[in-house]
Amino acid sequence: MALVDPWTVREAVRKSLPALAIYAVLLAAYFLIPGKSQLFATILFYALLGQAFNIFMGMTGYVDFGYVAFLAVGAYAFGVTAMALASLGSPGWTLIPLGLLAAAGAAMILASMVGAIALRLRGAYFAIATIGVNEGLRYFFEGANILGGSIGLYIVKDLKTLFGDEGYQFMATIAADLLMFGLAGFTVLVTAWILSSRMGFALQAIREDEDAARALGVNVTKYKVLAFMTSGALGGMLGALNWALKEGVLEPETVFFIVYTVEAIIIVVLGGAGTLLGPIVGALIYIGLNYVSNVYAAPLLEGIGIKASGLHLILLAPILIAFIIAAPNGIIGLLRERIRNPTIRRFLV
Amino acid sequence: MPDLNLLVASIISGLLIGAVYGIATVGLNLIFGVLRIVNVGHGAFIMLGAYLAFIVYTSLGLPPLLGVVAGLAVGAVLGLIIYYLVIRYLHDAPELATLLATFAIGILIQELVKAVMGPDSRGFVWNPLAAYEFEIFGYKPSSFQILAALSSLALLAFLYVVIYRTRLGLAIRAVVQDREGAMVVGIDVERIYAASFALGIMVTVASGAILAAYLQTGIHPYMGEIYTLKGFVIAVMGGLGSIPGAFIAGVLFGLFENVSYLLLAGIEGVQPLVLTRSIAFLLLLLILLVKPTGLMGR
Repeated sequence: MALVDPWTVREAVRKSLPALAIYAVLLAAYFLIPGKSQLFATILFYALLGQAFNIFMGMTGYVDFGYVAFLAVGAYAFGVTAMALASLGSPGWTLIPLGLLAAAGAAMILASMVGAIALRLRGAYFAIATIGVNEGLRYFFEGANILGGSIGLYIVKDLKTLFGDEGYQFMATIAADLLMFGLAGFTVLVTAWILSSRMGFALQAIREDEDAARALGVNVTKYKVLAFMTSGALGGMLGALNWALKEGVLEPETVFFIVYTVEAIIIVVLGGAGTLLGPIVGALIYIGLNYVSNVYAAPLLEGIGIKASGLHLILLAPILIAFIIAAPNGIIGLLRERIRNPTIRRFLV
Repeated sequence: MPDLNLLVASIISGLLIGAVYGIATVGLNLIFGVLRIVNVGHGAFIMLGAYLAFIVYTSLGLPPLLGVVAGLAVGAVLGLIIYYLVIRYLHDAPELATLLATFAIGILIQELVKAVMGPDSRGFVWNPLAAYEFEIFGYKPSSFQILAALSSLALLAFLYVVIYRTRLGLAIRAVVQDREGAMVVGIDVERIYAASFALGIMVTVASGAILAAYLQTGIHPYMGEIYTLKGFVIAVMGGLGSIPGAFIAGVLFGLFENVSYLLLAGIEGVQPLVLTRSIAFLLLLLILLVKPTGLMGR
């Protein structure tokens, strides 16, 4: 299998362009719209979460309910690297490559361990086994008092040693977000390459009918493990940037929070599982709905006397259910079914 | 090694709460067995039942176990509404869509309960037969906890009668075995789906009222989440879709939880309660490693 045959490269570039364009617009908005940079950073986080998650779940159809464990392990690996580098007195910039490498590596080790057990399982059993991995790890960190136990790991001090006070301010805000934009672009390229290569076709065959794919000579185990590890490594780096570098605080309760997995599922399903644009569109819709119901609709309800925190969820949940009934294959899936114009279809990747 | 009295006591308390775990999981398995849907919002229905017991006891002044009856009624109505509004449209949708839909339903129930009852943790203590309490190996279960275990068995018997002794149950079993075959012999599969979904929700809400025996101060809108997770572990242990499997696995899980707590409490520098949960999930993985379809799975 030639890694760089020209057709694959051309296809991958063509497929990645629409997604890269959306990220470029987001990046512009991040800098140009005053006071709203965190809103766009949130969209970025969820788009990335969905994209990384999509590489395994969307393409193979296996639902990894414990996905957030990859983010958590990556964040902890980054945190431990920061502490080690700070105590060694090494220059600050070394943390970014080494920390990200550690995060990706730790997530890949976890992926291969989980994969060895869980990838033998199908459907609901896989989903539930992976919940077991996430919750088991979280309670193990808390119960056995590992790396700060249930209190958590605070690495702000170490980051300040590495970058200095002012340098840290810059790293934890703009630099962290920019690195996440970089990771997003990288993830788009990885996804586009997988979709255009033999691996993408193999994964699609697995999603449609795993036994048939195996019978036709597709190395099912190899591609499942590859996709699982890729998806995990990207998740690990995302967790490292978002929690370790940006927040500087690693609490098991937050980094293993199962709701992030569920949100990843929501985003991928809303946008269209297995597509490149799907998770990005899904994140835009999901965060958009959240924002609108939080900022505009909830105050209206409070105005007529209904008051509670989390009120926006009462509005969001029925909208989600309606979305799923109307478009079970996601927005991109729906558009692909409806739109016949070949020029537009080219962009629905 | 902890002393023998403590060990026997934790086995007894494990059996008592295990029966409740069992009945709290049976509904999840019934719904999966018939509709092939994993109800990710499972815990929200348990939470609803716990609130029913709370309301029956504190607002109406009646025995909280009447919450079981209220739970069956509320569960039937709620189950039918949810089935006909949402689940019906998702038969041919990908598995993911149903996971998401049931999750969203769970969130909706949580937030509605929070809006009505407030976010605070509540609870109550009820000990109707305090005079007759007894001590066994130094352990004194509250009469509510014993009644809870008995109610679980009663509810299981009710479900057994419905499924194995009625025409509806016969039709449900036929649909589980072979959906197309059931259609051919004239069973209205759509109605069986609705009835099974409602039955599963009924038992789940009712089990929440029973669980209140263990929630002296722990009834709050988000209490269901941990029971969703425990329910998943128990359901998979027993084999998804198997009703007796779910109950037996529930009892085993209760036993396991209590005994491992006792053993872990002897280790210094750890939080035994939290570590027990971690080991419960490890147990799940081990079972799946040995038998990928659960203990009683096909």
